[in-house]
Amino acid sequence: MNTILEKLKKIDRRVIYLLVMLSIIIPLLPGFDFLIFPVSPTKETKAIFDEIENLNEGDAVFVDWAFDPSSKAELLPMFEAFFKHCLKKKVKVFIYYATINGINLGKETVKKITAMEEFSGSREGVDYINMEYVPINADIRIFNMDVDFKGTYKKEGKIFEGVETLRDLKYIFGLSGSAYHATFVDMQIRFNYKFGIAVTAVMGPDYVPYLQTGQIIGMANGLRGAAEYERLVSDKYEKSYYGSATKGMSSLTFSHLVIFGFVIVGNIVYYMDKRKRG
Amino acid sequence: MDIKALLDNIFLNDMFVSWIPVLATIMILSFLYRDNPLYKIGENIFIGVALGYGWILSWEYIVDPFFIMPVKDMFVEFHFWDITYILWFLLALTMFFRFSRKNAWVANYYFGFLFGYMAGYYIPIAIQNILRQSTDLMKPINQGSFFESSKWFVIIFGTFAALMYFFFSKPHRGLLGKTARVGIVVMMIFFGAAFGSTVMGRVSLFIDRALLLVEFPMQSIVCTIAVIIYMIIYFKFIKKEKLHDDESFI
Repeated sequence: MNTILEKLKKIDRRVIYLLVMLSIIIPLLPGFDFLIFPVSPTKETKAIFDEIENLNEGDAVFVDWAFDPSSKAELLPMFEAFFKHCLKKKVKVFIYYATINGINLGKETVKKITAMEEFSGSREGVDYINMEYVPINADIRIFNMDVDFKGTYKKEGKIFEGVETLRDLKYIFGLSGSAYHATFVDMQIRFNYKFGIAVTAVMGPDYVPYLQTGQIIGMANGLRGAAEYERLVSDKYEKSYYGSATKGMSSLTFSHLVIFGFVIVGNIVYYMDKRKRG
Repeated sequence: MDIKALLDNIFLNDMFVSWIPVLATIMILSFLYRDNPLYKIGENIFIGVALGYGWILSWEYIVDPFFIMPVKDMFVEFHFWDITYILWFLLALTMFFRFSRKNAWVANYYFGFLFGYMAGYYIPIAIQNILRQSTDLMKPINQGSFFESSKWFVIIFGTFAALMYFFFSKPHRGLLGKTARVGIVVMMIFFGAAFGSTVMGRVSLFIDRALLLVEFPMQSIVCTIAVIIYMIIYFKFIKKEKLHDDESFI
């Protein structure tokens, strides 16, 4: 018993790294698809889905892309699922890049999705538009949008028909891994728009108070939020829209089990050691 | 062949796009075993590429369209409001006075403008936000399910108890001590939730890398073997320092 205790006490941290690494990689390998199981959606993610579902064809949605490749793992799957859903619903999507490092990633993703056979009918400038980057703060941008939406971004296209100001946007959806969304929440008091967010898991707890007050309508939290959204879209349209988020969920589950295991073992060893020493 | 096409041919061909990200990922992961030159190379390449990429994009999307182009146009057809470009540019240039000890105060004009604007702008909004958050708490509690009602008690008494922990004007004994103790529990629950989310976020980042490795299995296996061979040679023959106890893994 003492030998086991001593061994567990001196377990090398690289053994933990290795096990966590294996628990992540193995479920992603070909032939391990049976480990993938769809997650049950939370009401926060469902709120975003419902907002889009309740829109009519031709309504306008504004996507504020405020993340760069460093947050890609958690936020890109959510954007993909959200954008596909919007194209399915035939709502107009205005994609604005709030960070320059995200522009190329965004454009490539949009190009990849619209190249898919199912969405090949979507045309840039009609069904969706890349608004590029404008180097002004979100608050000034929102002010300008309230007067002249099109003029703020200096873009042209049929998509702008019927969208004159901020008030013509039915839903604003922000994707960011920082406290950037707070500006949109602050300005919402003045302009009263509907606002939903996708955040990295680290930032999730910070936005819960805004959900409770209804200032934020819908929040997709990290990779799990994206997996939930993929499931909601797949269930609704009876076709698989499962992407990298759902695939990653099995890895996330198994890696957490390994971490839980080590936390439990660590605590048992700690208490046993404490008891042994009196 | 022009230089842009040549660079595109080098950096966008399938060979480069598949091998380099995999190799760079494994080079960085090699740090998990022990700090080594491959990791350092990967780290420096990452910083260099990220900085260079950001610099080029800043020029392409900010400096060129919003400063150089308008100033060029100014020389073709001048409007009175074009002077604002020069004024903002001069204000931005004051930042460089930070390099001078004697004249560093000049940069304060820039900061003065920025802070003045931000304070004037955000203070009313922040107050509105606090009021919005506060009014949401002032609701009849007998609405909704038991869970819905009970959460307001948790929020109100949890906030109060957590604040009491930071009340140091009186010793933490008796009722105050017990309330402060509840405050610690409330804070620990929040920290636990935040830590759990952080772990989930970090694992998600690795999942993204793992998806890349799985997408290119041959490259991943070759690069992993190459990096392991390099590390064995490096730690056995080049850097013969004795491993610390906690580093004796292989």
